[in-house]
Amino acid sequence: MSLLEIKNVSKIYGELKALDNVSIHVDQGEWVAIMGPSGSGKSTMMNIIGCMDKPTMGEVLLDGVDISKESSKKLTEIRRDKIGLIFQQFHMVNYLTAVENIMVSQYYHSLPDEKEALDALERVGLRERAHHLPSQLSGGEQQRVCVARALINHPELILADEPTGNLDEANENIVLDLFAQLHREGTTLIVVTHDPEVADAAQRTIVLEHGRVAREVINENFQD
Amino acid sequence: MSKRKMFLRMITASLLRRRSRMLIALLSIAVGATILAGLVTIYYDVPRQMSAQFRNYGANMILLPEGDSQMARSEVDKALALIPEGALVGATPYRYVRLDMVSRQLSFTSAGTDFEQVQKTSPYFHINGRYPEGEREVMLGKEIADQLGMKLGRTMELTYQPGDTAADEDPSGDWVPGAVLSGSAEGWQNAMVYVTAELDGDAKIAALTVDASLQTEEFGGRTATDEAFLNQFIGKSLPLQEGDVDALSGATVTSGAIVRSLNTARRATGATESRRTFSVVGILETGGEEEQYIYMSLPELEALTGESGRLDVMELSVQAEDTETLQGYADTLSQGSDSLRARLVKRVTRSETTVLGKLQSLVFLVTAVVLLLTMISVSTTMMAVVTERRREIGLRKALGASDSSIRVEFLGEGMFLGLLGGILGALLGFAFAQVVSVNVFGSSITFQWLLLPVTVIVCMAIAAVSCLMPIKKAVEIDPALVLKGE
Ligand SMILES: Nc1ncnc2c1ncn2[C@@H]1O[C@H](COP(=O)(O)OP(=O)(O)OP(=O)(O)O)[C@@H](O)[C@H]1O
Ligand SMILES: [Mg+2]
Repeated sequence: MSLLEIKNVSKIYGELKALDNVSIHVDQGEWVAIMGPSGSGKSTMMNIIGCMDKPTMGEVLLDGVDISKESSKKLTEIRRDKIGLIFQQFHMVNYLTAVENIMVSQYYHSLPDEKEALDALERVGLRERAHHLPSQLSGGEQQRVCVARALINHPELILADEPTGNLDEANENIVLDLFAQLHREGTTLIVVTHDPEVADAAQRTIVLEHGRVAREVINENFQD
Repeated sequence: MSKRKMFLRMITASLLRRRSRMLIALLSIAVGATILAGLVTIYYDVPRQMSAQFRNYGANMILLPEGDSQMARSEVDKALALIPEGALVGATPYRYVRLDMVSRQLSFTSAGTDFEQVQKTSPYFHINGRYPEGEREVMLGKEIADQLGMKLGRTMELTYQPGDTAADEDPSGDWVPGAVLSGSAEGWQNAMVYVTAELDGDAKIAALTVDASLQTEEFGGRTATDEAFLNQFIGKSLPLQEGDVDALSGATVTSGAIVRSLNTARRATGATESRRTFSVVGILETGGEEEQYIYMSLPELEALTGESGRLDVMELSVQAEDTETLQGYADTLSQGSDSLRARLVKRVTRSETTVLGKLQSLVFLVTAVVLLLTMISVSTTMMAVVTERRREIGLRKALGASDSSIRVEFLGEGMFLGLLGGILGALLGFAFAQVVSVNVFGSSITFQWLLLPVTVIVCMAIAAVSCLMPIKKAVEIDPALVLKGE
């Protein structure tokens, strides 16, 4: 059963076609990597899937709802309820502690629950750093907090745009392990990456070039 | 945890952990609030201060006799009992009588009064020297002192003549034994010298008083005090002959003038007169008509005139909330007695109202300007804050914050600043008002508890209004753009 269905989507900025008639589908529970050279439209696509942008043309069906036609208010609701976001630049609220950053996500979603937020930190191995400010955490630790924040509301879909771009080997592995765990729990993952190793961890890789799908590769070696 | 608790946690974290910017906004609000609270305090306290000041500024009511004659003291006291206890700050009696200074052939209006009360109803009186306290002391109006060349410590003789007090135009030479003669002549540089002589039974000079205070003090002036010089006159008969008297050295012109004035002296005083010699202990300077009188205590004046218990005017200083109340007291007094009427002294009450009116518009104007400046300052700071926090706002939106939650969060931060700034400002403003009050009015003020909520509410409202533009800007931030990696 497909969770995401992108049909003939284009995103045009003036002369430039950031996305050019792209069609993709992602099944429920699938782990997909998106690769491609810089400027190929990866982030543009993630923004559209993440309900932060709308395509110029085409349809985007998320859980059967066409999000390309929704109002921005409705898009905010969908994003809040179904999607967890992880960014390359970590993006934490810099005056809130790790646990508070996670609680912000709960706050907008439903109700803040400090215990649950601490459990999420436990899961990413940062329970004892819960009351540190972002400035007191390393880049890898910040990204792990962001992963914890992305999964706190149990989203159906996790979108990660270059989640390991700024991480060292060790932290990259921790994050990939977390993804694998989430995958086993049934969460759908779409991960943008430049790193073949990160792409190899996924079940399937979609390669974009010049705003088009150049090819799709199924990872034969994928192990659950 | 409830959403509200998290909301407060986020807002306080934002204010406490991102101090610098917020401190500026807080400071602007606090300064605005300080001035607001200070001015409002002064504004509400000033009428109280002002009426106290104006009460100090002199009598605000006077009691006058109905008709031509004087008021009876007993009648006045009965009337004053009608004014509520405590409202009567001062009551000064005045009795005016013409007294003659025989030696100078001048007469002055003299006021008998109660100097203790004068200090209450006319606190603006400026005295050189002091108020008379003991017997035989007078205070001169400055005009009189200048005219007579009188200085502190000098003496002067005042005479009361019943009925018409003009001196007789007796020709000189009509010497009556036991009479008192007085005369004058021009001395040094045309300044007058005055003499008073008493004759004995043989029409010879028994006593002589010379008033040379208009002469140069260290030359002609000495004729008044030089015993040897003055003693030459005793026992001589008038008119004085050439060689009867030796001129005082260094004071020839004045000595000559004394001889001439004795030779042209007239019988100036009658038998029913009473006179006393007073020493000048104070000179009154007001710049007004008060300078034209000689002041002495009422008992002193009554002893001189031989009649007591009569007053011409009673000046009152009455404490009242407003002019209506004061007028009410005046009406009560007027109706309470047939022989008296009370009226307000208009000058004082009117200036009180005018000053307050001007003060009011000034306070409103300054307050409006200050609030506007505060608003601009807070708005600018919040605008900078939004720019500074673009990424954070974008992130919040990406995490699912709706436009209204962004609005509420910023408004919350703004109002929280307003709350803190308001409390701080109310306290500082009170301190500011206190300093002003102590320095300007010389009295302290009590803290108005109402000031706290009012200032806080105004500050929160101002903070909210100041946040409108920044909030609009915050809501417009696009999460996608922000997250793209700016
Ligand atoms: N808001 C925009 N206005 C105009 N052009 C845009 C805008 N956003 C993206 N583009 C352009 O669209 C193209 C695709 O951009 P996108 O950010 O999707 O690339 P990307 O694949 O994520 O690249 P990278 O790997 O460097 O992150 C680029 O050429 C970019 O310049
Ligand atoms: Mg990108």
